[in-house]
Amino acid sequence: MTVPSNIDFDNLKPEEFEHILPELFANGEGKVSKDPRLHKFLAANPDCAALVSDLEAIADAARTLLEPVAVAPSEQVWLNIQSRLREGTVTNGHSKTTD
Amino acid sequence: MNAEGQWMNPAPTVRPNPVLFQRNPPIAGEAEAIAAAKLGDPDAFAKLYELHKRRVYTLCLRMLGNISAAEDMTQDAFLHLFRKIDSFRGESAFSTWLHRLTVNLVLMQLRKKGLNLVSLEETVNPTDEDTPKRDFGSRDPVLAGSLDRVALERAVAELPPGYRMVFVLHDVEGYEHNEIATMLGCSVGNSKSQLHKARLKLRELLRHPERATQSPLISESEK
Repeated sequence: MTVPSNIDFDNLKPEEFEHILPELFANGEGKVSKDPRLHKFLAANPDCAALVSDLEAIADAARTLLEPVAVAPSEQVWLNIQSRLREGTVTNGHSKTTD
Repeated sequence: MNAEGQWMNPAPTVRPNPVLFQRNPPIAGEAEAIAAAKLGDPDAFAKLYELHKRRVYTLCLRMLGNISAAEDMTQDAFLHLFRKIDSFRGESAFSTWLHRLTVNLVLMQLRKKGLNLVSLEETVNPTDEDTPKRDFGSRDPVLAGSLDRVALERAVAELPPGYRMVFVLHDVEGYEHNEIATMLGCSVGNSKSQLHKARLKLRELLRHPERATQSPLISESEK
Protein backbone atom coordinates (compact mmCIF):
# COMPACT_ATOMS: atom_id res chain seq x y z
CA MET A 1 0.00 0.00 0.00
CA THR A 2 1.51 3.29 -1.10
CA VAL A 3 0.13 6.67 -2.00
CA PRO A 4 -0.45 6.48 -5.77
CA SER A 5 1.74 8.93 -7.62
CA ASN A 6 -1.18 10.11 -9.73
CA ILE A 7 -3.22 11.39 -6.80
CA ASP A 8 -4.51 14.87 -7.49
CA PHE A 9 -4.33 16.43 -4.06
CA ASP A 10 -6.01 19.60 -5.27
CA ASN A 11 -9.12 17.68 -6.25
CA LEU A 12 -9.04 14.94 -3.65
CA LYS A 13 -12.33 13.35 -2.66
CA PRO A 14 -13.06 12.17 0.90
CA GLU A 15 -13.22 8.51 -0.25
CA GLU A 16 -9.78 8.80 -1.84
CA PHE A 17 -8.49 10.54 1.23
CA GLU A 18 -9.81 7.77 3.45
CA HIS A 19 -8.12 5.19 1.24
CA ILE A 20 -4.68 6.78 1.34
CA LEU A 21 -4.81 7.99 4.94
CA PRO A 22 -3.01 4.95 6.48
CA GLU A 23 -0.14 5.48 4.07
CA LEU A 24 -0.07 9.22 4.69
CA PHE A 25 0.26 8.54 8.40
CA ALA A 26 2.84 5.82 7.87
CA ASN A 27 5.06 7.71 5.47
CA GLY A 28 4.65 11.28 6.57
CA GLU A 29 7.81 13.01 7.67
CA GLY A 30 5.75 15.18 9.93
CA LYS A 31 2.08 15.37 10.85
CA VAL A 32 -0.55 14.72 8.21
CA SER A 33 -2.32 17.89 9.31
CA LYS A 34 0.78 19.87 8.33
CA ASP A 35 1.19 18.23 4.93
CA PRO A 36 1.12 21.14 2.47
CA ARG A 37 -0.45 18.93 -0.20
CA LEU A 38 -3.50 18.52 2.05
CA HIS A 39 -4.02 22.10 3.22
CA LYS A 40 -6.66 22.88 0.66
CA PHE A 41 -8.47 19.57 1.06
CA LEU A 42 -8.53 19.68 4.87
CA ALA A 43 -9.72 23.27 4.86
CA ALA A 44 -12.60 22.28 2.61
CA ASN A 45 -13.44 19.11 4.55
CA PRO A 46 -13.62 19.86 8.26
CA ASP A 47 -14.74 16.33 9.16
CA CYS A 48 -11.67 14.89 7.52
CA ALA A 49 -9.55 17.50 9.28
CA ALA A 50 -11.19 16.49 12.56
CA LEU A 51 -10.40 12.84 11.91
CA VAL A 52 -6.76 13.65 11.23
CA SER A 53 -6.51 15.78 14.37
CA ASP A 54 -8.07 13.07 16.51
CA LEU A 55 -5.82 10.34 15.14
CA GLU A 56 -2.76 12.52 15.62
CA ALA A 57 -3.84 13.21 19.20
CA ILE A 58 -4.14 9.48 19.82
CA ALA A 59 -0.71 8.79 18.33
CA ASP A 60 0.84 11.58 20.39
CA ALA A 61 -0.81 10.41 23.59
CA ALA A 62 0.31 6.83 22.94
CA ARG A 63 3.89 7.88 23.52
CA THR A 64 3.05 8.74 27.10
CA LEU A 65 2.12 5.10 27.66
CA LEU A 66 5.75 4.06 27.24
CA GLU A 67 6.29 4.96 30.84
CA PRO A 68 4.98 2.12 32.96
CA VAL A 69 1.75 2.48 34.84
CA ALA A 70 1.91 2.46 38.61
CA VAL A 71 1.56 -1.26 38.74
CA ALA A 72 4.13 -3.91 39.42
CA PRO A 73 4.06 -7.68 39.26
CA SER A 74 3.28 -9.42 42.53
CA GLU A 75 6.08 -10.27 44.95
CA GLN A 76 5.65 -13.92 43.98
CA VAL A 77 7.20 -13.24 40.59
CA TRP A 78 10.53 -12.22 42.09
CA LEU A 79 10.34 -15.04 44.65
CA ASN A 80 9.93 -17.51 41.80
CA ILE A 81 12.86 -15.99 39.93
CA GLN A 82 15.03 -16.09 43.04
CA SER A 83 14.10 -19.68 43.59
CA ARG A 84 15.10 -20.61 40.07
CA LEU A 85 18.35 -18.69 40.44
CA ARG A 86 19.14 -20.46 43.73
CA GLU A 87 18.43 -23.84 42.20
CA GLY A 88 21.12 -23.07 39.67
CA THR A 89 18.79 -23.94 36.84
CA VAL A 90 19.33 -20.48 35.48
CA THR A 91 22.85 -19.20 35.14
CA ASN A 92 24.31 -16.61 32.88
CA GLY A 93 26.28 -17.38 29.76
CA HIS A 94 29.40 -18.46 31.69
CA SER A 95 28.07 -21.87 32.61
CA LYS A 96 25.16 -24.24 32.41
CA THR A 97 21.68 -23.53 31.27
CA THR A 98 18.70 -25.79 31.20
CA ASP A 99 17.23 -24.70 27.89
CA MET B 1 13.44 -16.54 15.75
CA ASN B 2 14.80 -16.75 19.22
CA ALA B 3 13.83 -14.42 22.03
CA GLU B 4 16.64 -11.98 21.43
CA GLY B 5 15.22 -11.22 18.06
CA GLN B 6 17.93 -13.19 16.27
CA TRP B 7 16.63 -15.07 13.27
CA MET B 8 17.90 -18.46 12.32
CA ASN B 9 16.93 -18.61 8.66
CA PRO B 10 16.53 -16.27 6.91
CA ALA B 11 18.21 -13.54 8.86
CA PRO B 12 16.69 -10.13 8.20
CA THR B 13 18.65 -7.21 9.53
CA VAL B 14 16.78 -5.24 12.13
CA ARG B 15 19.06 -2.48 13.29
CA PRO B 16 18.76 -0.84 16.67
CA ASN B 17 16.12 1.84 16.43
CA PRO B 18 17.69 5.23 17.21
CA VAL B 19 14.32 6.60 18.28
CA LEU B 20 13.90 3.80 20.75
CA PHE B 21 17.41 4.46 22.04
CA GLN B 22 16.55 8.10 22.60
CA ARG B 23 13.34 7.13 24.34
CA ASN B 24 15.12 4.65 26.57
CA PRO B 25 18.14 6.50 27.97
CA PRO B 26 20.47 4.65 30.34
CA ILE B 27 19.40 4.57 33.98
CA ALA B 28 21.72 5.53 36.83
CA GLY B 29 23.44 2.46 38.21
CA GLU B 30 22.25 0.28 35.38
CA ALA B 31 25.59 -0.15 33.64
CA GLU B 32 27.26 -1.29 36.85
CA ALA B 33 24.43 -3.72 37.53
CA ILE B 34 24.69 -5.14 34.02
CA ALA B 35 28.43 -5.64 34.38
CA ALA B 36 28.00 -7.33 37.76
CA ALA B 37 25.13 -9.47 36.51
CA LYS B 38 27.34 -10.72 33.71
CA LEU B 39 29.64 -12.01 36.45
CA GLY B 40 26.74 -13.74 38.14
CA ASP B 41 26.18 -11.31 41.01
CA PRO B 42 22.70 -12.07 42.42
CA ASP B 43 22.37 -8.57 43.88
CA ALA B 44 22.88 -7.18 40.40
CA PHE B 45 20.05 -9.36 39.11
CA ALA B 46 17.83 -7.98 41.86
CA LYS B 47 18.81 -4.44 40.93
CA LEU B 48 18.00 -4.99 37.25
CA TYR B 49 14.70 -6.55 38.19
CA GLU B 50 13.79 -3.58 40.36
CA LEU B 51 14.76 -1.13 37.62
CA HIS B 52 12.80 -2.81 34.87
CA LYS B 53 10.03 -4.95 36.38
CA ARG B 54 7.29 -2.36 35.88
CA ARG B 55 8.06 -1.69 32.25
CA VAL B 56 8.38 -5.37 31.40
CA TYR B 57 5.21 -6.23 33.30
CA THR B 58 3.29 -3.34 31.75
CA LEU B 59 4.38 -4.42 28.29
CA CYS B 60 3.31 -8.02 28.97
CA LEU B 61 0.02 -6.90 30.42
CA ARG B 62 -0.72 -4.66 27.44
CA MET B 63 0.13 -7.38 24.96
CA LEU B 64 -1.52 -10.28 26.78
CA GLY B 65 -4.39 -8.50 28.54
CA ASN B 66 -4.29 -10.93 31.45
CA ILE B 67 -2.64 -10.45 34.85
CA SER B 68 -1.71 -14.06 35.47
CA ALA B 69 -0.28 -14.55 31.98
CA ALA B 70 1.57 -11.23 32.27
CA GLU B 71 3.18 -12.27 35.55
CA ASP B 72 4.24 -15.61 34.11
CA MET B 73 5.68 -13.85 31.09
CA THR B 74 7.49 -11.30 33.25
CA GLN B 75 9.08 -14.16 35.15
CA ASP B 76 10.10 -15.88 31.92
CA ALA B 77 11.47 -12.65 30.50
CA PHE B 78 13.74 -12.01 33.47
CA LEU B 79 14.89 -15.61 33.65
CA HIS B 80 15.70 -15.40 29.97
CA LEU B 81 17.46 -12.10 30.55
CA PHE B 82 19.64 -13.58 33.25
CA ARG B 83 20.56 -16.49 31.00
CA LYS B 84 21.41 -14.31 28.05
CA ILE B 85 22.76 -11.14 29.59
CA ASP B 86 26.22 -11.93 28.25
CA SER B 87 24.89 -11.36 24.76
CA PHE B 88 24.00 -7.74 25.56
CA ARG B 89 26.67 -5.66 23.86
CA GLY B 90 25.38 -2.19 24.51
CA GLU B 91 24.56 -1.44 20.88
CA SER B 92 21.16 -0.21 22.00
CA ALA B 93 19.82 0.91 25.33
CA PHE B 94 19.48 -1.98 27.75
CA SER B 95 15.78 -1.29 28.19
CA THR B 96 15.33 -1.39 24.40
CA TRP B 97 17.09 -4.73 24.26
CA LEU B 98 15.01 -6.05 27.14
CA HIS B 99 11.82 -4.83 25.50
CA ARG B 100 12.68 -6.60 22.28
CA LEU B 101 13.48 -9.77 24.18
CA THR B 102 10.14 -9.54 25.98
CA VAL B 103 8.15 -8.80 22.84
CA ASN B 104 9.70 -11.78 21.10
CA LEU B 105 8.95 -14.06 24.06
CA VAL B 106 5.33 -12.92 24.07
CA LEU B 107 5.01 -13.50 20.35
CA MET B 108 6.59 -16.93 20.66
CA GLN B 109 4.14 -17.87 23.37
CA LEU B 110 1.18 -16.64 21.38
CA ARG B 111 2.32 -18.69 18.41
CA LYS B 112 2.68 -21.77 20.63
CA LYS B 113 -0.89 -21.24 21.69
CA GLY B 114 -1.87 -21.27 18.07
CA LEU B 115 -2.88 -17.66 17.77
CA ASN B 116 -2.54 -16.59 14.19
CA LEU B 117 -0.91 -13.22 14.33
CA VAL B 118 -0.74 -12.91 10.59
CA SER B 119 -4.45 -12.82 10.12
CA LEU B 120 -4.75 -10.49 13.09
CA GLU B 121 -8.31 -11.81 13.12
CA GLU B 122 -9.97 -8.58 12.06
CA THR B 123 -8.43 -8.69 8.60
CA VAL B 124 -9.95 -12.04 7.83
CA ASN B 125 -13.08 -12.03 9.87
CA PRO B 126 -14.03 -8.62 11.12
CA THR B 127 -17.06 -8.33 13.31
CA ASP B 128 -19.40 -5.38 13.27
CA GLU B 129 -18.51 -4.70 16.84
CA ASP B 130 -14.74 -4.71 16.33
CA THR B 131 -14.45 -2.96 13.01
CA PRO B 132 -14.07 0.80 13.30
CA LYS B 133 -16.88 2.82 11.81
CA ARG B 134 -16.18 4.52 8.52
CA ASP B 135 -17.77 7.87 9.21
CA PHE B 136 -15.38 10.74 9.75
CA GLY B 137 -17.41 12.51 12.42
CA SER B 138 -16.70 15.85 13.92
CA ARG B 139 -13.75 16.70 16.12
CA ASP B 140 -14.05 15.06 19.47
CA PRO B 141 -13.79 17.59 22.29
CA VAL B 142 -12.06 15.08 24.55
CA LEU B 143 -9.42 14.37 21.94
CA ALA B 144 -9.08 18.05 21.18
CA GLY B 145 -7.72 18.63 24.65
CA SER B 146 -5.03 16.76 26.50
CA LEU B 147 -5.91 13.11 26.13
CA ASP B 148 -6.21 11.46 29.49
CA ARG B 149 -3.70 8.67 29.92
CA VAL B 150 -6.06 6.48 31.92
CA ALA B 151 -8.78 6.87 29.31
CA LEU B 152 -6.37 5.92 26.56
CA GLU B 153 -5.03 2.98 28.56
CA ARG B 154 -8.58 1.78 29.09
CA ALA B 155 -9.38 2.12 25.40
CA VAL B 156 -6.21 0.28 24.37
CA ALA B 157 -7.19 -2.59 26.64
CA GLU B 158 -10.52 -2.75 24.82
CA LEU B 159 -8.94 -3.16 21.40
CA PRO B 160 -9.21 -6.53 19.67
CA PRO B 161 -5.90 -8.44 20.13
CA GLY B 162 -4.63 -7.91 16.60
CA TYR B 163 -5.19 -4.18 16.67
CA ARG B 164 -3.80 -3.91 20.18
CA MET B 165 -0.60 -5.76 19.28
CA VAL B 166 0.26 -3.48 16.36
CA PHE B 167 -0.76 -0.31 18.20
CA VAL B 168 1.34 -1.16 21.25
CA LEU B 169 4.35 -2.13 19.16
CA HIS B 170 4.20 0.94 16.89
CA ASP B 171 2.69 3.85 18.76
CA VAL B 172 3.74 2.94 22.30
CA GLU B 173 6.95 0.97 21.91
CA GLY B 174 8.18 2.83 18.83
CA TYR B 175 8.82 -0.07 16.46
CA GLU B 176 8.81 0.67 12.73
CA HIS B 177 6.33 -1.02 10.42
CA ASN B 178 9.05 -3.11 8.79
CA GLU B 179 10.14 -4.38 12.20
CA ILE B 180 6.57 -5.20 13.18
CA ALA B 181 6.01 -6.97 9.89
CA THR B 182 9.14 -9.04 10.52
CA MET B 183 8.12 -9.87 14.07
CA LEU B 184 4.52 -10.75 13.23
CA GLY B 185 5.24 -12.38 9.91
CA CYS B 186 2.86 -10.11 8.04
CA SER B 187 3.30 -7.55 5.29
CA VAL B 188 4.29 -3.96 5.94
CA GLY B 189 1.02 -2.89 4.36
CA ASN B 190 -0.89 -5.11 6.76
CA SER B 191 0.91 -3.54 9.70
CA LYS B 192 0.06 -0.04 8.46
CA SER B 193 -3.54 -0.99 7.86
CA GLN B 194 -3.94 -2.63 11.26
CA LEU B 195 -2.44 0.40 12.98
CA HIS B 196 -4.82 2.73 11.21
CA LYS B 197 -7.79 0.56 12.14
CA ALA B 198 -6.56 0.43 15.72
CA ARG B 199 -6.43 4.23 15.91
CA LEU B 200 -9.90 4.50 14.37
CA LYS B 201 -11.21 2.01 16.89
CA LEU B 202 -9.54 3.93 19.72
CA ARG B 203 -11.17 7.11 18.50
CA GLU B 204 -14.53 5.40 18.72
CA LEU B 205 -13.83 4.03 22.18
CA LEU B 206 -12.65 7.41 23.43
CA ARG B 207 -15.74 9.10 22.04
CA HIS B 208 -17.94 6.51 23.73
CA PRO B 209 -16.12 5.50 26.91
CA GLU B 210 -19.33 4.09 28.36
CA ARG B 211 -18.96 1.17 25.96
CA ALA B 212 -15.63 0.12 27.42
CA THR B 213 -15.51 -2.69 29.91
CA GLN B 214 -13.17 -2.79 32.88
CA SER B 215 -9.79 -4.17 31.86
CA PRO B 216 -7.29 -5.91 34.18
CA LEU B 217 -4.66 -3.28 33.47
CA ILE B 218 -6.87 -0.40 34.41
CA SER B 219 -8.44 -2.04 37.40
CA GLU B 220 -5.00 -2.71 38.81
CA SER B 221 -3.51 0.66 38.05
CA GLU B 222 -6.42 2.55 39.48
CA LYS B 223 -6.28 0.75 42.79
